Amino acid sequence: MTARQQFTAALLLGVAFLVLFRQLDPTGYQIGLMMRCMILMIVTIGLNILIGHAGLVSLGQAALYGLGAYVAAWLAVKQGVQFLPAIIAGVVVTGLFGAVLAYPTVRVRGVYLAVITIAFGLVFQNILVEWLPVTGGTQGLIGIPRGNVFGISLTRPIYFWVVAGCLIVAFIIQYNVIHSRYGRAMRATAQSENAAKALGINLAATRTLAFVISATLAGLAGGLYTFLNLFVNYETFTFFHSVSFLLMVILGGTGTLVGPVIGTSILTYIAEILQDLQEWQIFAYGFLLAAVMFVMPQGIVGSFSALWQRFLSKSRAHETQGWPDRSVPLAEILHPGEERGQIALKTEALTLRFGGLTAVDDVSLEVECGRVHALIGPNGAGKSSLLNLISGFYVPTGGRITFFGASIAALPSHVLARQGIARTFQNTELFGQMSVLENVMAGFHAHYRNSLAETLLRLPRFGREEHRFFSQAHQLLKFVGLVDFAEEEARNLPFGHQRRLEIARALALRPKILLLDEPAAGLIHSEIEDLKRLIRLLADHGITIVLVEHHVEMVMTVSDHVTVFDYGRVIASGTAAQVQKNPQVIEAYFGHGSVVPRGRPMTALVEHSGAAE
Amino acid sequence: MGEIVQYLLTGLSLGGIYALVALGFYIMWEATKAANFTHGDVYMVGAVLTVVLVEKGLPVLLAASIAIAAAAVIGALIERLLVRPFNKEPNAIGWMLTTIAAGIMIESMATITYGPLGRPLPSPLAEQPIRFGGAGIYPQEMLLPIVAVAAMFGLEAFYRRTTIGRAMRAVAFNRTAAGLMGINPNRIALIAYALAAAIGALAGILIAPVVQAAPAMGALIGLKAFGVAIVAGIANARGVVIVGLCYGVIEKLIEGYISTGARNAVGFTLMILALLLFPQGIFGRREVVKV
Repeated sequence: MTARQQFTAALLLGVAFLVLFRQLDPTGYQIGLMMRCMILMIVTIGLNILIGHAGLVSLGQAALYGLGAYVAAWLAVKQGVQFLPAIIAGVVVTGLFGAVLAYPTVRVRGVYLAVITIAFGLVFQNILVEWLPVTGGTQGLIGIPRGNVFGISLTRPIYFWVVAGCLIVAFIIQYNVIHSRYGRAMRATAQSENAAKALGINLAATRTLAFVISATLAGLAGGLYTFLNLFVNYETFTFFHSVSFLLMVILGGTGTLVGPVIGTSILTYIAEILQDLQEWQIFAYGFLLAAVMFVMPQGIVGSFSALWQRFLSKSRAHETQGWPDRSVPLAEILHPGEERGQIALKTEALTLRFGGLTAVDDVSLEVECGRVHALIGPNGAGKSSLLNLISGFYVPTGGRITFFGASIAALPSHVLARQGIARTFQNTELFGQMSVLENVMAGFHAHYRNSLAETLLRLPRFGREEHRFFSQAHQLLKFVGLVDFAEEEARNLPFGHQRRLEIARALALRPKILLLDEPAAGLIHSEIEDLKRLIRLLADHGITIVLVEHHVEMVMTVSDHVTVFDYGRVIASGTAAQVQKNPQVIEAYFGHGSVVPRGRPMTALVEHSGAAE
Repeated sequence: MGEIVQYLLTGLSLGGIYALVALGFYIMWEATKAANFTHGDVYMVGAVLTVVLVEKGLPVLLAASIAIAAAAVIGALIERLLVRPFNKEPNAIGWMLTTIAAGIMIESMATITYGPLGRPLPSPLAEQPIRFGGAGIYPQEMLLPIVAVAAMFGLEAFYRRTTIGRAMRAVAFNRTAAGLMGINPNRIALIAYALAAAIGALAGILIAPVVQAAPAMGALIGLKAFGVAIVAGIANARGVVIVGLCYGVIEKLIEGYISTGARNAVGFTLMILALLLFPQGIFGRREVVKV
């Protein structure tokens, strides 16, 4: 089943279950329990997007839930506001707080973020108890009038379907977000920040979006809770509740579609049983959390789908195709390369210092469009630092970088990526837990034009774009010979294939210039031959290539221009033949006074590089 | 005048608790880049266990020693069972959840067996307050900041002078390289967690005569102390203790000049702001990320 079919099946099953539940003539208590459970599901669906996709842990989700509840309650009790506007206000306020909470994630993750969300939860708790005139203190807000929409009183039977409808909407939002460029961007930022930036993904915006969506859903759930319970009290929104939301998501399976629904159902059911345990109830919660982490950290749905994936992977044929595949119509996918003959990239007196160490020292060079420009030199010569400066990962200490005439020094990486600077990494940085196809699809991120609203509502332009990039991604995978691996998780690929995938993903950015950081490292001889053909093919296509590489034989045969570095400085620059004869280059590679056979410097260099491996 | 001296003194006392508990977070973090998230419950165990043992008729010093030893064992167990298996890859968060689970279990267990209400630990230092100016404070309370500063210097000496301490610093700096030099990082982690737990329990025992030992006494202190450690940058003992003492004083000043109710709201808000201004912590070092 495709993801879409799974989603439809889950949705229909859920609706059928709810209809059946109502037909079975449940007691008032059971209906109330089911409604509370559905409301909690809305919270955990939002939390799942945050944790499972954006990789951000919130230990303050109960406070966001409570914020939605209290805003709606306060408006209804103290201001006489109607159901609908009260709920909407709760959602908006909570969404805004989500955006504020997301701000630190621009800089911090992991435990730092956990501390901030915990602190937020405790501040909220403190305010609820102390700000008596607004929150009613420890007593809370009581006497909330039953909801009323367009003259229809929301009695329990009607309200049941209002809550169910909201849950269905939340479930659809979840699917529509995670199966879109936004969801891919979230997973990308969670799995490799560097690679995400290099593909033009704005980390801050992506994380803020995840936070806002999860906060909005928590706020909606809070509002619904207010009009179900008809009173609100601080005790429902404590740190303990934040932890239990987390437990629900993990129990079901983080990052899975139905995980939060299943986890919430089971935990709500267990909580009912645990009530008989009285004082041991809290202990049992702790025990359960530990047990889930030990027995199935991937959660119920996660564990099953991992088994299923393994089965599928075994049953699929995996034939590695030759690469580069020249039958792929690159012209339809890649940048047209009209700028041939211009200067693509120029650095002037570029300098980078780390403390007292000068990694890049007064480097001025020009890279011509459509050429292969190699940067070589001993380890620590500053080649990779230069790539990192060009791609915006480091900010230069001094000097200028211009890209097709425009100054780009100190622009952030994701902006540079959108201007057409793509790169690969020395230690390949793939999105390990995303499929091979998704990795390439993430590469197209910067080229999508449809808005969030179009994505959420699945308007026609969303479908058109998704379809177009899907087929182009397939073409790129064909280009590097990995079509058969499209559905595999990227981390399971053999090393050589990972390099290929990283290049395919970089090409999805439709770069004007492609920076390759030691692409041949770890490849076997035949793969290096293929890589050389690929580089030439791309250059012929008008893509400028900057190549940092230790494999001298490859550099000498594939490059139009070679610049040699030592101690951060340029010591030679010219064609491959020119630099090989340069005495400084020979000294840098072999040391002073080395005996290099006269007239055979290239062979000597090649042999040297061979010996070094 | 007496007023502000009073706030300073009680603030330093409270800050001493934060400093000692936060020191534990720092020690654990250095060794494993993780921590017992509910370290505050170890602090509670120290206090509660001592009270129970004293009630059974043991002399206070012996009871305290046993409680500290027991806490150290709990700390080591938490490392071995709940942190190590869930801290395998960088940026793992599993340990956060498993140790939260442990904290929930420890606290509810204590509530069930000990009862939810606080009981005092008798101490000769908590009978007569010392008065100066218009301020009064128990000598017991003044012990906390003194012990915190002493623990800080002791820890620094331990890290610099002893073989195990140097091994711990090596592990903190580079776990893999330390392993290659024949240091067993797992053993270091175990020792670190035991040490952290012992210091935490000591803090609990020291404050028990003043606040009464209760199962719920640790949770919030632990979270605040973790915040203190993070805001300090979890980079060195001095920073952690300074921020801990300051946070205690700040809380008392908020109580005095704004309101008791606003203490946590304002305190935590300051914490969040501090993290926004210093994402690496106030005394933290910026890590250069190699691409």
